[in-house]
Amino acid sequence: MKNTKLLAFILSLVMLFSLTACASGTVAPDSLAAPSAAESTADDSNGDKLVLGMTLYSLKNEFTVRLANAATAKAKEMGAEIKIYDGNYDPSTQINQIETMISDGVDGIILNPQDIEALAVGVDKAAAAGIPVVGVNTRVKSDKLTSYVGSIDVYAGELEMQYIVDLIGETGNIVIIEGPMGQSAQIERRQGIQNILDKYPGITVLAEKTANWSRSEAMTIMENWLQAFDKIDAVIGENDEMALGARQAIEAKGLDIPAIGVDGITDALKAVESGSMVASIFQDGAGQGSKAVEVLIAAIKGEAVDAEYWIDFEPVTTDNVAEFMQKAQ
Amino acid sequence: MNNEMAAQDTKRSGINISPKEFLSNYGTLIGLFLVVLIISILKPRFLGLDNILNLLRQTSINGLLALGMTFVVLTGGIDLSVGSIVGASGMYAALVAQNHNLPWIVPALVGVAIGFILGSINGLVISVLKVPAFIATLGMLSVARGITYLASDARPVPGLSPGFLNIGGGSVGIVPIPVVILIGVLIICYILLYRSRFGRYIFATGGNETAAKVSGVKVRSVKWAAYMISGVMAGLAGVVLTSRVSSGLAQAGTGYETDVIAAVVIGGTSLAGGRGRLWGTVVGFLIIGVMNNGLDMMAVSSYWQLIIKGSIIVAAAMMDSLTESK
Repeated sequence: MKNTKLLAFILSLVMLFSLTACASGTVAPDSLAAPSAAESTADDSNGDKLVLGMTLYSLKNEFTVRLANAATAKAKEMGAEIKIYDGNYDPSTQINQIETMISDGVDGIILNPQDIEALAVGVDKAAAAGIPVVGVNTRVKSDKLTSYVGSIDVYAGELEMQYIVDLIGETGNIVIIEGPMGQSAQIERRQGIQNILDKYPGITVLAEKTANWSRSEAMTIMENWLQAFDKIDAVIGENDEMALGARQAIEAKGLDIPAIGVDGITDALKAVESGSMVASIFQDGAGQGSKAVEVLIAAIKGEAVDAEYWIDFEPVTTDNVAEFMQKAQ
Repeated sequence: MNNEMAAQDTKRSGINISPKEFLSNYGTLIGLFLVVLIISILKPRFLGLDNILNLLRQTSINGLLALGMTFVVLTGGIDLSVGSIVGASGMYAALVAQNHNLPWIVPALVGVAIGFILGSINGLVISVLKVPAFIATLGMLSVARGITYLASDARPVPGLSPGFLNIGGGSVGIVPIPVVILIGVLIICYILLYRSRFGRYIFATGGNETAAKVSGVKVRSVKWAAYMISGVMAGLAGVVLTSRVSSGLAQAGTGYETDVIAAVVIGGTSLAGGRGRLWGTVVGFLIIGVMNNGLDMMAVSSYWQLIIKGSIIVAAAMMDSLTESK
C-alpha cells in the first residue's frame, strides 16, 4: 500500500517536470529537441539561428516585463532565439544566470543589472568567454560592455524635480522616495534631482528613503512621513510605482499632495489622466528592449556599434497623456 | 531505540530491508537521480563539465547554510535568521576587505566571527531565556538586517581586495574555491555529528529532550552550540557570497532561508527533531541546486519555478511522513 503511494509520488514528480517543459512559454519548440549531445562549445553563428540570453533584475514589475516583451518580439522579428531570466532583485542570482547562459553557449547576452558594482563580475565572465554583452536600462561599472542602451537617468531626475519647482514655486518642503540603493537608476536620478535642488535653496528636503521600486513599501513610508511632518508640499518618486504608493497613503488621509514619478506605466498614465499624479516621466522600456536586441545582433555579426545609445525621456502630463496611453499597449 | 538507530542496524545486518526502510533511507537520493535524469534528457548540456562546476559553485552557499541548519533542526529547532546573518557577516567582511593591505584571511575571519556572535545570541536567547526558536530567530532576522543597513548606510561597499575576491571567484585547479570550502565543511560536520559525543547529544536532545536531560546531557549547551554552528556557517556563506559579487550589499542573503529549510526538509531531516542525516541534507541542497540550475537551463519561467519549488518541498515532506508512519 505504501509502495503504491510512493510510486504515485515519483510519477507525479515526473509529470510535473514534463508539464513544465511543455509549459515554459519562453522556450521555442526547436530548442526542446536539444542540440546534438556531443556539442559542448559555443554555437557557430554562421547560418545557424542566433541564441540570445537576457537577464533582468526582476520580472515582477510592469516596466521590466514591458522591456522583456519588446526584446522577445524584436528577437523573433530578427529570426533569433532569446531566453529571458528573472534576477529576483539578487545580484548573485544574476551572476549565476550569466554563468548558465555562458555554459549554455549563447551568442550574446543582454544585461539589465540589479547592482552597478556587483554585476561587473558577470560582464567579466562573459567577456572572458568571448560573448558580447549589451547593457540595457540600468548601468554596470565595466569597460568590457559591448554597448549600452538606455535613457539618461540624470535627465529624468532633473525633469521631475524641475516640474515640481514649476508647480509649487521656489520654496517648499519635499520628500524623496528612492529606488534600490546602489542601482544606477537610483544613483543617477537622485543626482538629477540634486542638480535642480542646488539651483533652488528655498526648497527643503524633509526626508528621503528607499522603497526599492515597490508600491507597498512606498505607501508605508509615506504614511509615516504624513505623521511625522506637518506640511509636505510635494512627493518626488524615483519611479511611478513608488509615487503611486505614496499617493495611496496621501489620499487615504484625505489630502492632496502632488506626486510625480518616472516610467509611464499604465497605472501612472491613468493617474495622470485622473489628476491623481501631476505627471510621469515616460521611459521607453519597449524602445530600450528592442534596440538592445538590434545592437546585440549587430555586434554578434561583427558590425561596428556605438558605445551608447540614448533614448529620450518624455514628460507625460494631462496634455499628452492620451497619446501615451495608446503607445503603452 | 529510535528510528535512526533501527534503520542503521538493519543496514548493517544486511538482511531483510523492508521497502519502507529502503525508501526512507534512499528515497531522496532516488529523487535526485530522477531529477538529474529528466533534466539531462531535456537538456544534454546540463551534464557538461562547466555547467556542473557552475552548479556546484552556485549551490555552495545554500549548501553551507543547509549543513549548519541541519544541526539546529536536529535539536528540534529552526533558524530563520540565516539569510540576514549572511548579509551582516558579508557586509562586515566587505568593510574590512576594502583595506587592500590586509591579507584575505582577516576579512574572512571577521565575517565568520560576526556569524559566530549573532548565532551565539540566537543560542543564548533560545536555550537560556527559553524564547521559542521560531520567534527568536525571526527577531534576529530583522535585527541582523537592520545592523547590515546601519553598517553600510544601505549603500554598496565596493573595491574589495583581490585576495578576498579570490575566495568566491577563484579555483583550485578546476574546482571552484567555494566548492572546496563546502567539502571541507562537510567533512568537519560529519565528524562533529557522527564521530563525537557532541553529535550523539544533538540527536538525543532532538529526539527526547527530557530523557536526554535526565540522562545527563547538557541540553542547554547543546542547543546553544547548534545555533552557534548555524551562525558560523552563515558567516562563512556571507564571506563567500560577498566575495563572489565583489561588493558588500545590504540586501545580500534576503530570503535565503527558504531554500535552506527546503534543502534540510527534502533531505529527510524531520522538523520535529532527533531524526535525520547529514548526507540527506547534501542530497537536499543538491536537488535544490539542480532544480535552480536545470530549470534555468530549460528557460522555465521564474513564475513556474516558484510553483515547482514549493510543490517539491511539500511533496518531500509528505513522502517523509508516509515512510515514517507506523
